[in-house]
Amino acid sequence: MTAKSKPKLAVWKFASCDGCQLSLLDCEDELLAVTGEVEIAYFLEASRATVRGPFDLSLVEGSITTAEDAERIRAVRRVSKTLITIGACATAGGIQALRNFVDVDEYIAAVYAHPEYVNTLATSTPVSEHVYVDFQLRGCPINKWQLIEVVCAFLNGRKPVIPTYSVCMECKRRGITCVMVAHGTPCLGPVTQAGCGALCPSYNRGCYGCFGPMDTPNPAALSQWWSNGLGVSEADLVRAWRGFNAYAEPFRKESEAHEHI
Amino acid sequence: MTRTITIDPVTRIEGHAKITLMLDDSGQVEDARFHVTEFRGFEKFCEGRNFWEMPGITARICGICPISHLLASAKTGDAILGVRIPPTAAKLRRMLNWAQIVQSHALSFFHLSSPDLLLGMDSDPALRNVVGLIQKHPDIARKGIRLRKFGQDTIRILGGRSVHPAWTVPGGVREPLSAENRDLIKEMLPEAFDTIDLALTLLKDASAGYEDEAAHYGNFPSLYMGLVTPEGGLEHYDGLLRVVDSGGKILESGLDPARYREIIGEAVEPWTYLKFPYYKPYAYSGPSYYKMGMYRVGPLARLNVCEFAGTPKADEELRAFRQLAPQGRAVNTAFHYHYARLIEILFALEKIAETVEDPHILDERVRSRADVNQLVGVGVSEAPRGTLFHEYHVNEEGVLQKVNLIIATGQNNLAMNRTVQQIARHHINGNGGKLTEGVLNRMEHGIRLYDPCLSCSTHAAGKMPMHVEVVAADGEVVDEIIRD
Repeated sequence: MTAKSKPKLAVWKFASCDGCQLSLLDCEDELLAVTGEVEIAYFLEASRATVRGPFDLSLVEGSITTAEDAERIRAVRRVSKTLITIGACATAGGIQALRNFVDVDEYIAAVYAHPEYVNTLATSTPVSEHVYVDFQLRGCPINKWQLIEVVCAFLNGRKPVIPTYSVCMECKRRGITCVMVAHGTPCLGPVTQAGCGALCPSYNRGCYGCFGPMDTPNPAALSQWWSNGLGVSEADLVRAWRGFNAYAEPFRKESEAHEHI
Repeated sequence: MTRTITIDPVTRIEGHAKITLMLDDSGQVEDARFHVTEFRGFEKFCEGRNFWEMPGITARICGICPISHLLASAKTGDAILGVRIPPTAAKLRRMLNWAQIVQSHALSFFHLSSPDLLLGMDSDPALRNVVGLIQKHPDIARKGIRLRKFGQDTIRILGGRSVHPAWTVPGGVREPLSAENRDLIKEMLPEAFDTIDLALTLLKDASAGYEDEAAHYGNFPSLYMGLVTPEGGLEHYDGLLRVVDSGGKILESGLDPARYREIIGEAVEPWTYLKFPYYKPYAYSGPSYYKMGMYRVGPLARLNVCEFAGTPKADEELRAFRQLAPQGRAVNTAFHYHYARLIEILFALEKIAETVEDPHILDERVRSRADVNQLVGVGVSEAPRGTLFHEYHVNEEGVLQKVNLIIATGQNNLAMNRTVQQIARHHINGNGGKLTEGVLNRMEHGIRLYDPCLSCSTHAAGKMPMHVEVVAADGEVVDEIIRD
């Protein structure tokens, strides 16, 4: 295969922590194999060289927080055959979407002596609110095996096999005792999409929703469980729903239902 | 006419940034500015959260060094609980931090900087990256990738996953280390030691060809700050704050890090979101009041402030490192951040090797429990890039009322600007301000020496307008240029 006929891969960054694109570098052993299969045409974290589009596959990390971002993501879409968002920031607005619930000017004023220098949008929004997204890979951070699956699926022209069931399935499969039923620990596992391998429950801790809402979740039922069964306060419920996927619709609506101002 | 040259974006650093050069009438570089253009707002949205959640939330500030935030945050939580964590928990946290230093420094050296050093600053930019390195020096690339993997795997073994693990908590860590997992770490060590030896040899060989860079890359006197052990040794997790000047004179010898506000102030400039921390006692009144208080943090600073490393191999390299400066003085050239980084990897590996042999490391008591006992907590640790400060003010329920974070990269901000200016003057002056790819890359390399982590340092605040204004001496805006 000549270099020219390899599919071109691009990695784009918006507001984020870089952790998800680093998951690509984390594919240490696989990285060597990947460079044989695709041409990494745009990846600022790794290189200064930028090959002109169009790109066969664009991986987008980060949320849209400025007017320039909103322009840039449209430009990225124009030059990308397939666009996949990676991580909670790109798919749900990320932890910085907590600003969507308050007055952003207040944030800026709290941190900067000259708030007029800061030019930012009032919201941090997922990429899908701005352009068409072909596939959304969840996680804060993403699971590198899922990333490899998505890239391989793309390379082979098939649909990625990414489960959309809840973390509970992973707990059962690993034989982890339910932290909520057995220990009374509040856990977001029943409504959170699998992908982490039930990391927190394996440490006797409740899930805190890194992978965002599962397919057709029932957050209201879970809130009821937490407050009636476990005595969790309304304020703690709001905080629990407002994590790394605070702006994902099912979580957002549920947090608003418990906010009494 | 006055011209401005903008390099945007700066690549192979973490986060968003651009550089602006200001040329005077004769084409000489008058000023250079390194801008950071991302704003996320952490300090503010953490208010109203519970301090128990903070290790998980602040880890999301940065995917490169989540461990630093996890540790600083957990330590702040320890202070709020008012507990002493079990000794084994402290040892495990230290091991986690050393593992992170290995992975972060290996990423900086092998993935991000070695393409410049091994392929040449003037080589084809399309190949001057980790992929080009894999093609040209597959063996070195493979070893570098595997050294980083050692760090990531050790973090994964200890914390469950390598990015944003959920293992450290106020009061200690969640799970003790198992014998199997300890043995897994032990088995990986020999290869890691071999690779760091190779990296040290590579850097020493490559440095011979970069004497010019070593002389002009951030070679200026400044203060240095870092943690040291009570005995004055190299320290990354706990210890006391020390500040030295370029002459090697100790200005602060053993300040309790919780008192950081007494010596560190933060200045703000309109053209960047990155604040400018400075050493307060050296500030004076006037418009650039804080610039005299420029200090550097990170590997170079840590090696300059400590008296010894405390492990045999790292001490041997440290003696060689000291030879780079006249007797008793600090090593002032930012180019030697590379060397300092490798010495720290060596030190971290030796310490991990020592820790896995510790008879108490498998102890099952790894967590102290308490409720809120103090309303203010400060947690300080050494991130790969330098000293990291977390300070939380909570109410009786542990809900955060106020948060202050001082990040390593921010503290190098003044020095990074100075470094860019120095490199720009050296390479651009006299050739009419012509920029070649090699010059652009040298400036980027100058920034990369500090391994800046911009996601971290702009935890505070969106984005700067992407245009650059040129301001003449009389204050008039005379030009505006953007380079794609």
